[in-house]
Amino acid sequence: MSEERGRLRERLEQRAPGQWELYEKSAESVERETAAGEVVTAARREVGWAARFWEQGAPRFACGSSPENLERALSEASRVETSGETPPEWPVATSAPRKTQNRVEAPPDLQEELQRRVSADSRGAARLHRLSVRRGASEERIVNGRGLDVSLAGSLLDGCALAIGRQGSRACEARVVFRWEGEPDLESLARRLADRATLPLSDRGTPVERGEWLLEPSVAAALLAGLAPLFRAGPLPKWVHRADLFSPGVTVVDDASADAVYDGEGTATRRVALVLEGTLGARLHDLRSARRAGVPPTGHGVRPSYRLPPAPGPRRLFFETSTPASSRDLLASVRRGLFASALTAPPLLDFERDRYELEFTGIAVVGGRAMGPVAGARAQGRISQLLRRIAGLSTDRQFFPMPYPAGAPTLLIERADFD
Amino acid sequence: MELDPTAVAHWLEPLAKRPEEIAELFAERWREAATEWHDGEVREARATVAEGVSARWRGRGGERLAFLSRGDEEGAREAIRALQKDIGLSPLPVKPSRARPAAGEVASLDVERWVRRLTALFARHAPRHHFRCTLRDFARQVIPARGTASTFARRLLSLEGTFTAASRRGDEKREFSFHAPVGESTFEELRVALNHATQPREAATPCGDGQTDAVLGGGCAAMLFHEILSHPLEAGAESPLNGLEQARLAAAELEVRDDATRLDLFGGFERDDEGTVPRPVKLLDAGRLSGRLTDRAHGPGPSNGHARRAGPEDAPLPRGSNIVVGPGHSASEEMTRRLASGLWIDQIDGGSVELASGRFRLRFPRARRVRRSRMADECGPGVLSGEILAVLGSIDPGIGREVRAYRALGWCAHGGHVVPVGGAAPDVLVRRFSVRRLW
Repeated sequence: MSEERGRLRERLEQRAPGQWELYEKSAESVERETAAGEVVTAARREVGWAARFWEQGAPRFACGSSPENLERALSEASRVETSGETPPEWPVATSAPRKTQNRVEAPPDLQEELQRRVSADSRGAARLHRLSVRRGASEERIVNGRGLDVSLAGSLLDGCALAIGRQGSRACEARVVFRWEGEPDLESLARRLADRATLPLSDRGTPVERGEWLLEPSVAAALLAGLAPLFRAGPLPKWVHRADLFSPGVTVVDDASADAVYDGEGTATRRVALVLEGTLGARLHDLRSARRAGVPPTGHGVRPSYRLPPAPGPRRLFFETSTPASSRDLLASVRRGLFASALTAPPLLDFERDRYELEFTGIAVVGGRAMGPVAGARAQGRISQLLRRIAGLSTDRQFFPMPYPAGAPTLLIERADFD
Repeated sequence: MELDPTAVAHWLEPLAKRPEEIAELFAERWREAATEWHDGEVREARATVAEGVSARWRGRGGERLAFLSRGDEEGAREAIRALQKDIGLSPLPVKPSRARPAAGEVASLDVERWVRRLTALFARHAPRHHFRCTLRDFARQVIPARGTASTFARRLLSLEGTFTAASRRGDEKREFSFHAPVGESTFEELRVALNHATQPREAATPCGDGQTDAVLGGGCAAMLFHEILSHPLEAGAESPLNGLEQARLAAAELEVRDDATRLDLFGGFERDDEGTVPRPVKLLDAGRLSGRLTDRAHGPGPSNGHARRAGPEDAPLPRGSNIVVGPGHSASEEMTRRLASGLWIDQIDGGSVELASGRFRLRFPRARRVRRSRMADECGPGVLSGEILAVLGSIDPGIGREVRAYRALGWCAHGGHVVPVGGAAPDVLVRRFSVRRLW
């Protein structure tokens, strides 16, 4: 492999002296899916190669499933004339090669245990329909024409669960994607599945048109992930006032240092405060966007796959606050409002129009007490107002795959409009 | 890419000793060239050449898949060895690595020609734009333990992005998607579609909320039937259509089929991903529920050629291909007259269905109000929603007579697996749709 790597480096150096980057990834995973008494297992081993190069000052990207295929792709990418762009400031660093464990073990069989919990949490109204759990490991290596040579290694345990709730002839399905960083957290997964599969069957609409809005951590994390375009490099919408974008108690950080030392371009990972006490701070940059903006890269060149070139994006995005409250206190402070337990549709955020819309299922809350399920409600309004109305963050932060980890605690919005 | 079918079938034989067992090898070679345009300039060029091979076994109680990202004989042996070990059979012996024969000449994706033509097209119709054009070339081979091996290939074009167009109240950003197999008439069809999309329009006002009758025109009714028939009728899906075989669900004038043999549409194929020749499947026959999309592993009955894989790394699942709605007898004017008052929608840019409950939603960027059987002002964006059985029952028997391909329907994601799909439909009038304005 080192011979092939050397040959590829030579080819890239000939095409774009000093202005190239070579990325290689090898990944292995075992996935176990259980549905209707049938088990499907899939063992996968994938190798991928990718190159970015500025040939005659124009950016190109090529990738392949082997060095030979990458060479063919390099020729194909060079055939199109593209407009020029100044190459980025390539990072320079070296690290020792990192290796994962030799063989990926099969993921644990969690079907029965999760089924039992979903059934118990829903009082028999929901059942687990399908569960897919995957365990995997990957190794990456990035080199460039300026001497960078860094290696990364990682592992994952993730999956997707589908539960179906029934009441009479009516049914509702709940699909939850999860990623565990330690031991499987079946308690939280079962509760989310049970809520999402059964609350919409309650038949009750929202009893309040306006009030406080309490967001369960998974709902708050989906909202945070929906806000990510505000944190990426690029022009901001006209309505954004940097100084008071969020309410003063809110801090938003991206820090993937615990996951990987470098990003997908070899820039060192660091903590970036995107919102500090309500004020919009730094933006997320990869090498190209940093070059365009005339700022240093922040270590946010993200590669979702070897088949895509790196692009600026969050890597581990989460809320912080200097004045956290317990989730019990946040609930107690709700005089009249709704608790959003699960989203029933992806969040809609239109940054150009400054509008948001979240559809959810949950529970009505009056005087800090749960007053019964709400099958479906919709909160809508201006994003700018929503962000300034965050009145409290609790201590129960959890991370959810969006697909990068997005972390949020229970969130209290002081006022929202529902229908 | 082609592997020797006789040798591979021989390796697979021990995996399929019982008649109910399936053992096969699936190999894919995939090339892609993508270009990013920004206001007349090609800003970036990307190319991909990838291969993959997976060995699959299916028997009593389960299914196993072993995938490797290589497409040669050594990769095929390794995938089969992994599978044999996994199910407790003695694996094929390891052979010393041999130098891989040089790949033969492969047909060019013709990117440069497409770049030249599209540059001129954009300059003429939409000089301010941000588009991505992707040419994809797939070549797939399925080698079963028993039966005949098959190879098949497709070349697809996708153009997606936004452009700035004139409207009566100034500039307006519009979205555009076009997905079609590459053929002699593809460019001309794209030119007509882009020209139509860039026409000056009235400024849209917000849609109202509530119930409305709506005509789905321009072929976009294919999106509706893709969500409410194609997905629920994938074998194994749990939906409100279960147990309703041969039940009259819609007007007798309505005929809907899934037709993978329509190679002029984006979702067509000559062989499915288990190597079966696909058959057109009537989903609604004279308004009666009549068929399901099946593969070798998911019945009822034998496969009708709808096993589809997102790639070699995934096991095949029964999925839809091209949804095709049969023509009726009504001209456009007749459809407007029947509608009388409601919305005329020519574009649907997204849809989803929750199978267990049967609830679906379709997002439209823009619609035209119809008042007293006459086209009136424009409105949008909005969301149409409903339940499968209720909507099928409220489709008007007056169906348009001209069937149009809907080229904005291109890729369908289901359970994380993305496959190309297509559709064609005449104008269809649906009574009492729930409509909700967006923004």
